[in-house]
Amino acid sequence: MAEFKFILDGKEVTAQPGETILAVAARNGIEIPTLCFNKKISKTTSCFVCVVKDVKTGKFLPSCSACPAPGQEIESSTDEVREMRRTALGLLLSEHTGDCEAPCTLACPAHANVEEYVRAGRKGDFLESLKIIKQRIPLPMSVGRVCPRFCEKDCRRNIDGKPVSINDVKRIAADLFYETYMEELPELNGKKVAIIGAGPAGLSAAYYLRLQGVASVLFDQQPEAGGMLRYGIPEFRLPKDTLRKELAHFGKMGGIEIRTNSKLDRDFTLDQLKSEYDAVIFAIGSWASSSMRIDGEDLANQGIAWLGEIAGKNWQGCANPGRTVVVGGGNTAMDCARTALRLGGDVTVVYRRTKNEMPASLVEIEEAEEEGIKFEYLTAPLALAKAEDGSLALSCQRMELGAADASGRRTPVPVAGSDFIIPADTVISAIGQRTIVPAGIPSGKRGIEAAKEDLRVFADAPVYAAGDCVSGPATVVEALAAGRKAALAVLDFFAGKPHTEPFLFNVSRGHWRNLAKEDLVYLRKISEADRVQPDYISMDRRKSTFDELFDSIPADKVSAEADRCIECSCTAKGDCLLKKHSTKYGVSPDMYCGQKPISTVDVRHEYIIHDKQKCIRCGTCVKVCSEVINKGLLALMKRGFNTMVQTALGEELPSYCKDCGACVNECPVGALDWKQKK
Amino acid sequence: MAAIKRIKVGTASCGIAAGAGQVFDALKNAATDVPVIGVGCFGHCYAEPIVEVECEDGTSVFYSKVKPEDAAGILNLTEEGRFSIPARRAELEKTLVTRLAGKINPIDMQEYIANGGFESMKKAFAMTPEQVVDEVKKAGLRGRGGAGFPTGMKWSFLAAKQVPEKVLICNADEGDPGAFMDRSMMESVPFQMMEGMLIGAYATGATKLFIYCRAEYPLAIKHLSIAIDAMKEANLHMLPGREKPLEIIIKEGAGAFVCGEETAMIHSLEGKRGTPRFRPPFPTDSGWNTLPTAINNVETFCNIAPLFSIGADAFAAIGTEKGKGTKIFALAGDVKNPGLTEVPMGTTLAEVVYEIGGAEPGTVKAVQTGGPSGGCIPADKFDTKIDYDTLGALGAIMGSGGLIVIGNNRCMVETARYFLSFTQRESCGKCTFCRVGTTRMYEALQRITEGKGTEADIAFLEDIGPKIKKGALCGLGQTAPNPALSTLRYFRNEYEEHVRDHVCSAHICSALTDIKVDTDKCVKCGLCMRTCPVGAIQKTDVFTVDNAKCSKCNSCIEICPKKAISRVNKGEGFNSSL
Amino acid sequence: MSEDFSYLPEAGSEKGDLIRGLQLVQSREGYVSDDAIRAAAKHFGVPVAEVEGVLTFYAQFKRTKPGKNKICICDGTACHIKGSTQVASWLEAELGIGDGQTTEDGIFSLETVACLGCCSLAPVMSINGKVYGKLDRKGLTKILNEYRKLG
Repeated sequence: MAEFKFILDGKEVTAQPGETILAVAARNGIEIPTLCFNKKISKTTSCFVCVVKDVKTGKFLPSCSACPAPGQEIESSTDEVREMRRTALGLLLSEHTGDCEAPCTLACPAHANVEEYVRAGRKGDFLESLKIIKQRIPLPMSVGRVCPRFCEKDCRRNIDGKPVSINDVKRIAADLFYETYMEELPELNGKKVAIIGAGPAGLSAAYYLRLQGVASVLFDQQPEAGGMLRYGIPEFRLPKDTLRKELAHFGKMGGIEIRTNSKLDRDFTLDQLKSEYDAVIFAIGSWASSSMRIDGEDLANQGIAWLGEIAGKNWQGCANPGRTVVVGGGNTAMDCARTALRLGGDVTVVYRRTKNEMPASLVEIEEAEEEGIKFEYLTAPLALAKAEDGSLALSCQRMELGAADASGRRTPVPVAGSDFIIPADTVISAIGQRTIVPAGIPSGKRGIEAAKEDLRVFADAPVYAAGDCVSGPATVVEALAAGRKAALAVLDFFAGKPHTEPFLFNVSRGHWRNLAKEDLVYLRKISEADRVQPDYISMDRRKSTFDELFDSIPADKVSAEADRCIECSCTAKGDCLLKKHSTKYGVSPDMYCGQKPISTVDVRHEYIIHDKQKCIRCGTCVKVCSEVINKGLLALMKRGFNTMVQTALGEELPSYCKDCGACVNECPVGALDWKQKK
Repeated sequence: MAAIKRIKVGTASCGIAAGAGQVFDALKNAATDVPVIGVGCFGHCYAEPIVEVECEDGTSVFYSKVKPEDAAGILNLTEEGRFSIPARRAELEKTLVTRLAGKINPIDMQEYIANGGFESMKKAFAMTPEQVVDEVKKAGLRGRGGAGFPTGMKWSFLAAKQVPEKVLICNADEGDPGAFMDRSMMESVPFQMMEGMLIGAYATGATKLFIYCRAEYPLAIKHLSIAIDAMKEANLHMLPGREKPLEIIIKEGAGAFVCGEETAMIHSLEGKRGTPRFRPPFPTDSGWNTLPTAINNVETFCNIAPLFSIGADAFAAIGTEKGKGTKIFALAGDVKNPGLTEVPMGTTLAEVVYEIGGAEPGTVKAVQTGGPSGGCIPADKFDTKIDYDTLGALGAIMGSGGLIVIGNNRCMVETARYFLSFTQRESCGKCTFCRVGTTRMYEALQRITEGKGTEADIAFLEDIGPKIKKGALCGLGQTAPNPALSTLRYFRNEYEEHVRDHVCSAHICSALTDIKVDTDKCVKCGLCMRTCPVGAIQKTDVFTVDNAKCSKCNSCIEICPKKAISRVNKGEGFNSSL
Repeated sequence: MSEDFSYLPEAGSEKGDLIRGLQLVQSREGYVSDDAIRAAAKHFGVPVAEVEGVLTFYAQFKRTKPGKNKICICDGTACHIKGSTQVASWLEAELGIGDGQTTEDGIFSLETVACLGCCSLAPVMSINGKVYGKLDRKGLTKILNEYRKLG
């Protein structure tokens, strides 16, 4: 039979006898997804992700196996076909178990590749570690010191002890290489962006713009750049010499200019920026304290302003605040309390709920406790008054926890007749911050109103907003993520395409709280040691100086600590076809739910992992081993939902498999893979 | 009284299960001068064990439900226990293919020949192979295994292959639970089936014959083996014009429903896992060990000899436009007269269910045709004339001929769940739609019957079902959703009742059912209490079933002499944990 | 019992005879052991893994030694409609074992099968191939007691 014609997606195409629809489509530039097709072996016809529709019969055909007939009409791109593919992918996912991405990486607001930089640290390659970190975290020196460690809360090592001390990997990597490492930068492309605010969000936006050749100018009203890092977070948590080193890098990159003492609507206007720059990003932070709404409030210091004032004096020559009451339970409250303590104050923190509900990170609460700060829990201020001698009296009342509110937190309810007075010399209100939205900018619930998808503020002008000023007060790492997002949105705007958040596809074994140690997969023997602890400076120094709490943990200890990492993510996350196609087709792992087949993970072989929980049962490995390698070490066993690929009688794969790995290389998912991650 | 020529005892599997073995022995002992032989099944399973007394004058007397102690009476041709086929049933049936079933000694070739056996073969061998194929085409015979592909056409594909070796397979892997036509035919008329195969081999040029039979059918295998040996002895396997005799091989299946699918069966015959593969290539192009191969089922082959006996025109005159000839149905379930019945295509379901099966109109809510691949047809559609297309239009299939009658006291959701549990267990596991899809459907049905279902489960079934039908690789997967989809189509109210009201009005779904003692009827004999395996029945001043403990095994209901215990809606019985 | 499975050639020697060979082993030994799998692989020239793959595909094959009396509960459509689930629960209660298990004394093993083809007698079960039909609670106990007496 000679070559013939048939219709593919409405177009007449030519096929050779014996050629499959998949092959013809590929020749014609139509990409049909498939998991199980592999030209090295005979057809498996298993996954059915490659289905196409035969218009005449209405049947769906696996294009990997079906050959066209002359004159046949085939559809490969209609919604109906896509829906069938989505269904096939969804069904495969419903029997698939694993972790595409490690929980730490997913927990990181900036989605830094945590597992990867920890692994580099384990191998002692902290430069590599830093390079990975900086893909998402341009301020690793600061974040390495002040981050509340979202990653560690979700670390699977929590199952059997304490989490890996991830942030210390970041800190030492930055300490060692931040100042000398310079990323490869493209030439500036002539585009220029104005960024208002040189805090974490603004700096992050500038950084990621610069990586793509876009210059920027950061305007900041303060005498020094850094925003909250400079004027919010006290010296003992983040030494300003360290911060200055970190910021110096931005100058070295070329194309990023920082103009301090420059205030919006005083030194420049938005209209000016709009006309002089190709885009504008607001990253102005959240600098106004929330009100306690009590009588005599103006007698109290506003927490963030108070910290800023002391920071402006570089923590030198400040008066002893005496008996100090800090109202609030967040990180700013902790910073105020511990700053007041170091200035010689006798400090009490007043918080209306209990320690469990405190938003400040636990380590800071505990450090504050160690330093001798007193806590009055379940206490709310009622009024503040000034006595004739100039001393203050904070009237308070006791609270008890009532019913849970919409956020799930139990609402404090006053206890009748429990009023009492706390005498004080200084009262600091640190119950929260808010954004003061500049005139002419749309404001929303938490600050500047910006589109969720691309952080754009105005539909008719390339003005964006990112960071605390949009989200309300958050962490440094969240601000970095937001700044990066704004930068990417601006870059997409420059490229003339709409900015959309990428569909984050992820399969997970579940949160560690719902797992047992037996559920985890160990690719190598991991360290059983306890979590590394930093060496704090003496308590005397902690109480009386603004010296940094502890030095960075040395590299060798951090490497050893990194050996505690389980490396939870999938060995195949870079080349898994199930992930690739599911991402492309927007299929969520929980599209269909149900029981998973009972299967195990075989890690007995020194180099190869056989994770049957990930297997899609296509049998590619079986055919590769029998048809290509002529070994026949693997077979499909059982049938139906219980079908699985197994070795003969469950025996371990022979050691010589390490020299072949054909099955590993052809597995479309991570069911058979090298243990060693790339 | 006429003299007795010989005595025939129905000793096919269901006869033996009903006690025909002991009856046979008793008659053999009692009848010293009359031969007693075992014969196959003639379809009236409800009347087993059946004994036919052949008289010298050519008449016969039948006895039903015979016990060993009846032997003496039978030898005296007693009037007691005589059996005759109901007149209306005889009128509706057309015993073309089953003419000899139950009438002759299955393993006696001479008796087969004496009853016209191998005459068709002689007729066929007098024609050219092409003429044989044309005759089958002209008769309009379609495959009796399920899909209904024209047999003559299939044979012509195989015949067209110009290669020295070709394969013809008899699919005797009757896997539909509830179907037993093929077993009965193999047990009762093995020579008839083999005659059909030889004609097929002659017509197609096949050199190798396989009979792929379920291992669960030992008697069928035994009878076939005897028949094949006898035929080889008589050199019948040497076809005209051939240099080499036919190779005839019986292979026992090993328990996989999917092997009814032709490519799966071929893999199984090759000693591999019985997974189907994508077609084309069709087996007639590349089949067993890549040789051209055709597969027909038992009943199809059993049709061949009768077809040539009466001729293609007479054959084609039976049945409907698109369904020629007769169909044998295995009638079971909620009918008075379960068994086999052969009727012309075009007979209505009502005739089969009510008039042949003896079910009381009004007591039946549906029939299930085509086994797990088929669908449920509601009673109000029983005026449908049975053929391949009419059943398909109703969302069912002809299938191999299983016909299960479902009474009003059954739950349709549970019926669908049962079928899906079967197909998902029998799925080969190769293609995604079937392997995972049928499992997810089964889970949804399971949830519904357990009272944990939601509207979303119903929506899910209606969404995924058609996708599996369109997407699955082989016939098993492509038809697996039918039981769920057809019950959803005709009995949606039952699904809604389960998920919305948590009620199974048939009281079949145990999770939605309580057991209750009717204290008015109860005579306090205590039998139930002693029978209960879990100690759920207490006696205070009355007997009570504690539904917190009860395993819903029905033991008490079965044992109660006063029928005082019954299944009721959940919540209506006593439950100590509430 | 033959430890070296020297009877395998009776089933043939071609790859296509593999299933027949395994059936032969099972009929002789009652089940197919690891050793039998290895022997069959060698005899038929098929990799061990593939033999196991074929074996585990088919429901007929048992990998563990069955009880002396093999009870098969038919769960074909007719039997299911007529209450095979109940029959199964009675048997499980009587014997204290579940589907696919063997009693501790090795006297009974229990298995649910697709269809015994005796639908008109539903519900049915078979013990060692002998079919018992129209089962009810009382009859079932009687049948089991007969086998119990024989041990």
